Amino acid sequence: MPSAFRRALISILITAGVVGGTAMFIFWAVNSPLQVQRFLIRLVMISLIIFLAILFLRYFALLWFGYLQHSEKTVRGGSTSSFMPPVTVIVPAYNESEVIDDAIEALLGLDYPVYEVIIVDDGSTDSTVTRARQWEGRHGNADVRVFTKANGGKATALNSGIAQSKYPFVLCMDADSAIEPQTLRVVMPHFEDPSVGAVAGNVKVVNRDHWLARLQALEYIEGLNMPRRAQGFIGAVNIVPGPVGVFRLEALHEVGGYDVDTFAEDADLTLKLITSGWKIIYEDSAITWTQGPTSLVDLIQQRYRWTRGILQAIRKRKGILLRPFPDLPLWLSAMEMAFEGIVWPVLNVYAHLFFAIVALLYGMGELLLYWWVLLTLLDLVVALITVSMEEEELSLVPYAVVYRFFFILFLDVTKTLAAVEEAFNLGMDWGKLRRISLTQGAGDRR
Amino acid sequence: MNVIDLLILIIVVTILVTIALGVMTYIAYKLRTARKPARPDDDMEGARYFVLHKPPLDAPEPTEADAS
Repeated sequence: MPSAFRRALISILITAGVVGGTAMFIFWAVNSPLQVQRFLIRLVMISLIIFLAILFLRYFALLWFGYLQHSEKTVRGGSTSSFMPPVTVIVPAYNESEVIDDAIEALLGLDYPVYEVIIVDDGSTDSTVTRARQWEGRHGNADVRVFTKANGGKATALNSGIAQSKYPFVLCMDADSAIEPQTLRVVMPHFEDPSVGAVAGNVKVVNRDHWLARLQALEYIEGLNMPRRAQGFIGAVNIVPGPVGVFRLEALHEVGGYDVDTFAEDADLTLKLITSGWKIIYEDSAITWTQGPTSLVDLIQQRYRWTRGILQAIRKRKGILLRPFPDLPLWLSAMEMAFEGIVWPVLNVYAHLFFAIVALLYGMGELLLYWWVLLTLLDLVVALITVSMEEEELSLVPYAVVYRFFFILFLDVTKTLAAVEEAFNLGMDWGKLRRISLTQGAGDRR
Repeated sequence: MNVIDLLILIIVVTILVTIALGVMTYIAYKLRTARKPARPDDDMEGARYFVLHKPPLDAPEPTEADAS
């Protein structure tokens, strides 16, 4: 039996065992004496209240801190700093022939005085190198250089690019992403503070002509950027995202660049920088457009990798979770990653399944209905606030109706199974998503 | 069946169908991964994640001229 399928089977069997055990317990409870049933109904009510309390508290905290970050930035206004040191932009590319031209063209349009673009071909088997080489040379303010190496994974490609960097600051990005022209101008003033090691940018979904990509567009705004905004306010940004992150070269050298032993090299590197005492900033005006998968299997593949990668990054530093002091921001970052990576998805799937079964067996369906109405209203309000903060399309807000009960639940199933696989240390491979041309999916957004 | 019961039914069915869809898509992803032809280095002992590129011992050291 192929190993990938065997691993999936093990993961499903373990999860099914837990769910089956719960179902057997419920079956026993239904047939138990009246007194026991009353006790169990109270237990269900208390569980529901605790689940909702955690959910509300999380949302409230994220919204509040996110709002404070937004207000602080609005009051402070744009930076007038003239700090614009030369920057190296590194684009790792593996079989990116569909998008490499668009990516380079977008980079050459950056509004910045001096920068270089390094394309690191990670042993592509398509025409990526040939296409990239056509751009080599001087283009206005930018130099384009192309390097090729044997295939070794994204982290090794980024490390190769860092080794070739001529300048003291490095922008790492993905080849399937297009960075907005103002990005470097808004990011670099943060580095005037010598303790800042990296600046995380704002990632948005570009191909919004597909319903699944539109749901991801909302998810990026509500589920990824809002938490990052909140983390930015309390100084606990825990992931400098792969599609747009700017780093101080000195900091990268100090921590030894990217490690090659996790599948979320961006999360891993961020934790390394925080552990070494570097400050991480979130800059919401540093926007990059990336492609969201448009098939369910591709989406699952991407989230499976993210989940396992983040858990691997935490696993490497599990001791941090037990030590909130002296480094509180580091502890908060790691705890948030662990909560979002494993605790919340498992709790979410389990709660949905549990309450659905209990509603059917105990005739508590109305409770489930109120629960759905309450959460959907909450999602709509949060979507409206976050979409407004980001000055995004209002037409994304109605997607909040199916956001929790379909999209998030669907993703959390995979996250749960991926977490079980990671807990049992089952192997995995990277997987490559299908690409479409960036201009094909962008419409008029860029 | 009144509207409330219908809504409850829709919610319960949505939850169960979404979870089933999630599991099925996960299996489809795993099947797709399993069908991919294995790379020669996939079965290397200890290669849990990436296999680092190791140039042959007799390979010449890169020079500055090569890098630029």
